[in-house]
Amino acid sequence: MAKIQIHVNGLKHDTDCDPATPLAVFLREEMNLRGTKIGCGNGECGACTVAMSGRAVCSCLVPLGRTVGHHIETIESLGGPDDLHPIQRKLVERGAFQCGFCTPGVVMSLITLLRRNPKPTDTDIRVALQGNLCRCSGYVKLLETISEIVREGLHER
Amino acid sequence: MSAEFRVIGQPRPQLEGPAKVSGQAAYTHDITLPDMLYGAILRSPYPHARIRSVDLAKALTMPGVVAAVAGTDFPNLKYVNAGPVFADRHAMARDKVRFIGEEVAAVAAETLAEAQAALAVIAVDYVPLPAVFEVEAALGADAPEIHEKPDLPRNVAQQSVSDFGDVEQAFADADHVFDATFEHGIVAPVCLETNGVLARYDTENDDLTLWAPTQAPFFVRKEIAHVLDLPLEKVHIRSVVIGGGFGGKSQAPEPIAIAAMLAIKAGRPVKILLDRQAEFLSGKTDHAKKMRVRSAVAADGTLLGRHTEFWVDNGAYTHMGPAYISAVRQRTCNLYRVGAAGFDGKLVHTNKVSGGSYRGMGSPQIIWAIETQIDEIAERLGKDKLEYRIAIANRSGDRTPQGWEIGTCALAECLEEAGRRIGWAEKKHAMPPNRGIGFASMINPSVGVLYAEGNFACVSIDLLEDGGLRVGTQSADCGTSQNTVMGQFVAEELGLDTDVIDVLHMDTDETPPDLGSAASRVTFVSGNAAIKTAKTFRAELVNRLARHWEVPAAEINFADGIASYKDDNARRLTLAEIAVLEGPFRVEDRYDIDLPRPDPKTGYGHYAATYGFGAQAVEVEIDPATGHVTVHKVVVVQDIGRVINPLALEGQMQGGIVQGIGMALREELIFDQGAPVNASLISYKAPRIMDTPRIETVFIETNDPAGPYGAKAGGEHSINPTPAAIANAVAQATGERFRKLPITAADILQATKDKAPLDLKPWKRPYNLEVATARALYPAVLFPGLRKLGAAVGRKPKPKSDYHYVRPRDLSDALRELAMPDRKTKVMAGGTDLQVGLRQGVYDAGMVVDIASLDELRGIEITEDKITIGGAMTIAEIVEREDIRAMHPMLSEGFAKIATAQIRNVATIAGDLSQEKRCWFFRSGAQCYKAGGVSCPCYAVLGDNRHHSILGAGRCAAPCVADAAPILTALEATIIVAGPTGERRIAMRDFYVWSGETTVAPTEIIRAAEIPRESCFNTQYFAKSAGWDGDFADASVAVKLGWNGSRLATANIALGAVSPLPMRARQAENFLLASDLSEVAIRIAASKSVEGALPLSSNAHKTNLLVNLTERAIRRCIAQ
Repeated sequence: MAKIQIHVNGLKHDTDCDPATPLAVFLREEMNLRGTKIGCGNGECGACTVAMSGRAVCSCLVPLGRTVGHHIETIESLGGPDDLHPIQRKLVERGAFQCGFCTPGVVMSLITLLRRNPKPTDTDIRVALQGNLCRCSGYVKLLETISEIVREGLHER
Repeated sequence: MSAEFRVIGQPRPQLEGPAKVSGQAAYTHDITLPDMLYGAILRSPYPHARIRSVDLAKALTMPGVVAAVAGTDFPNLKYVNAGPVFADRHAMARDKVRFIGEEVAAVAAETLAEAQAALAVIAVDYVPLPAVFEVEAALGADAPEIHEKPDLPRNVAQQSVSDFGDVEQAFADADHVFDATFEHGIVAPVCLETNGVLARYDTENDDLTLWAPTQAPFFVRKEIAHVLDLPLEKVHIRSVVIGGGFGGKSQAPEPIAIAAMLAIKAGRPVKILLDRQAEFLSGKTDHAKKMRVRSAVAADGTLLGRHTEFWVDNGAYTHMGPAYISAVRQRTCNLYRVGAAGFDGKLVHTNKVSGGSYRGMGSPQIIWAIETQIDEIAERLGKDKLEYRIAIANRSGDRTPQGWEIGTCALAECLEEAGRRIGWAEKKHAMPPNRGIGFASMINPSVGVLYAEGNFACVSIDLLEDGGLRVGTQSADCGTSQNTVMGQFVAEELGLDTDVIDVLHMDTDETPPDLGSAASRVTFVSGNAAIKTAKTFRAELVNRLARHWEVPAAEINFADGIASYKDDNARRLTLAEIAVLEGPFRVEDRYDIDLPRPDPKTGYGHYAATYGFGAQAVEVEIDPATGHVTVHKVVVVQDIGRVINPLALEGQMQGGIVQGIGMALREELIFDQGAPVNASLISYKAPRIMDTPRIETVFIETNDPAGPYGAKAGGEHSINPTPAAIANAVAQATGERFRKLPITAADILQATKDKAPLDLKPWKRPYNLEVATARALYPAVLFPGLRKLGAAVGRKPKPKSDYHYVRPRDLSDALRELAMPDRKTKVMAGGTDLQVGLRQGVYDAGMVVDIASLDELRGIEITEDKITIGGAMTIAEIVEREDIRAMHPMLSEGFAKIATAQIRNVATIAGDLSQEKRCWFFRSGAQCYKAGGVSCPCYAVLGDNRHHSILGAGRCAAPCVADAAPILTALEATIIVAGPTGERRIAMRDFYVWSGETTVAPTEIIRAAEIPRESCFNTQYFAKSAGWDGDFADASVAVKLGWNGSRLATANIALGAVSPLPMRARQAENFLLASDLSEVAIRIAASKSVEGALPLSSNAHKTNLLVNLTERAIRRCIAQ
């Protein structure tokens, strides 16, 4: 099988994985990037959201073969637990999530939104995150925290 | 917040936050072990059947397979769950299956694909038995017997009948009697992390080690040791991060014992993860109930008595059903001041997935029933519904009919504050139309006495080498911040900051016993244990230093992490120095709930050390056109005793309330002959971020003497009054009482439509008579006949996970791939439907050709007379084009309503048009007409058909839900298709053929959609109604009106999601063109959109919905 070159978090990798493999499975199993979660495998919950050439996509519905020519960014491209991105730090401080299983996907949806639209309205934020199901938080603190992030311009740092 | 505390009352972010937000937290899904195998479970396709045999021989010969197990490989022992008298479930089905999805066999193999392939060759010899799905039918004398429980009536798992006080007399003395019956369906916990397990068996020491997301490691360990007949000390549960619980992970999920047995057989670690469908199919749920509530009321409103007769749907096996019986009992007897109370409850088996537990354990729904009646009492007696509640609120010093002795209680204050914050006094006389405000209260024991093993908690504190402290608890933090709160208790008690304290949860080797995180018990029980252990730790520390320093212990001071003796600088040590001096050490202690147990049968007696109270006020608005309810604001006022961590507590309140919104308005598992048909996160409609209202959270601190620092429980309290308050608000807004939850938009539309009945003329379509006759024959003749015939000769849906993926260089390369004979090839554009559909078995392909990146299909070209959109342009790319928005606003606004941002970034215009139709029977693998061919029946005719077609349905009732279809139809677009012999152009009106198929051949590719630019002024509007914003439409309408000055020149009205193919509403268009565009004319024109409709049994609301949407769209077009 022909090799596929995949570009993840700034690095290029060659793989001979089946090009039909969902990107989410490849990231988790082959690259050990387990921050990308799989909550449904059908594009319904958004837990597996990554950025593909700057756009939020459900990586469970992107076949590996299609990523050629695209840059994939996962939650691991931001800060680790000891050097969190200011957005991540704010989400922790404000209790914006609880179980955390949806959180990497939420962060990736948020990052892609703020890069394209640094001053989103409440509606813009809700539209961007409608695909990210969260069962714990009721989204209230998440919405409040994002408003604060936007107000403080944390994403521009 | 009081300054008397150091960390109590402070917002403390959760300890695990940084690991979670950076993706580094290790959930069970993320953990692997060397040499690990993957397990897969074979599930019963029958709701009720005898198992003659399970043959694993062939599976064991399959590639990669290392072990396989069936029911008889397990010891003949049953899970204990709610207690030995209720035990009725083996680790795996042995001689019988009792619900669709029950575990029948399992395989461990080198890869998941190999394990799944091996399942397919396991031969199970079933003898199907008659099944029963409804409680009433299950109680019938001739109902099939699901379990043999000789001491109880047929299919009854538990019965609880009693009167506390003279209930009969209360009803005899009553001036008013209220009597109504309430029902609700089954809600699923929907943890984002599905259940899973990693099991390792160490054959040298016979040690079983488990990593699994469970709320109760203590409970899991006990159950697993029991059903596998292992010594308790040989079962070890390790710490993991847990992706949500809500009760859904509070028992021992079946995959754990199964993975353990596979690991024992294989001698290698085995991991099983449930996929989302299996989670819905087999994960335990809330219990459905039917409740007849009667209230005996004196003329002045005094509640003389209350009686609830109720039936709890237990599903196939008993897990936590008895707790649901208890929850109804408790609310019946204790919510508001009531003189006497009685109940008669039955827990009834049906052949459906077993009930487990879900946040609130059935309390939210019995509270809804009672609170509905409270509203009705206030209405009948002419009392203000808030003032009446305040008058009858429980108060400190009360003793309830059940014998509860109410200590601290701020319910009346909670209600008053909720009323103030929602603005009841100002709004109640000036409520705008379609708006309503509702109130409801809750009472919950802040952890009652349970069974012996649940009435205590232990906590350990380790002084670590570096001077840090590690608090150990066997309860499990599912995301609630309880670990953080435990750390706060210890920090407060020891005068430390939380940053020196780490918390280890779950680990049964490293932490001492505790029942676990259920029934909102951790803050109270484990919290008290943490405080007690911290005191013991301080004593141990001081005693050790006293020995060392040879000074009296009483004179050693320990504060701010420093131990000192008077002003003696030589006797002054930090925790780190103490750790060096003494070495690391550990203390453990235990807290017991010291109360007499209530009567185990009736539940009579004082039950909890303290009781939690709260009130909620909700303001809603109804869209009368769609029945959609918008929750504008929720106020929760909670008597919480003492706030320990406001950040965590507010989160618990908000999360529970939003779950309550789902429970009130949308969430329900829908079953067809025992199979859940909406086992997906699209059709099971959990709340999304668009649904989040403003939530105001207020805490009243009553400083309960029994609570840790005065705290009461909180976790489940938030959801308890929410559905009731919403229902009461909906009742005010609509003038209708609903006695079934969820109260869906369809229910509201159906209830209010009688006020404006439609003049349906179904016979205007000649084939309708034929269809109506066929439908009449369905129950007795056609459905059973076709089902049998289809099973014999029809095509069977084949779920596919392995197919070849091809990415062609260019369009001609793609067409060549498609033209190759003898290959089942499918074109994949975005692939958001195709890849899912292949797994569901709705598509059959051995190869997919990915056209998403083909240059010939990309790009948007705008000329003077037309817009040409490449077939592979994504929905997002189209929506973002301002020039398209200026020309055809309906296209941009309508496409923006398709699915979610992530899907719009991938899905294409060609794919949206070509997606398979939506029908939950078809999508869940039914061998129906569409899946299996002409020999098979349509399941929608007799099943739950709320989403199906109302127009033009014949053999198949699945609607075409592509939003692009009505929009492009109204815009009179042309689809350009490339094929082996060149291009052809298809007008939208000819694009779909009967039964929703398109006219695009398997060898063709949609190259572009061509949309004419308008020469004259036109106005457009796309109206859509769906379960949630981004869901597939229940009905939609695209309207484009062309104007010649102020005169209407053209009218295009296209309907979506109401018929197998998008339809132009010609009669409506013609009427409108000939009319004076008056209010009345618009309504009549709109009502002509459903001319010829022939609704199914439960989708008549869609006729009204369609008319209302059409009216709305026409009005918007005229107003522009």
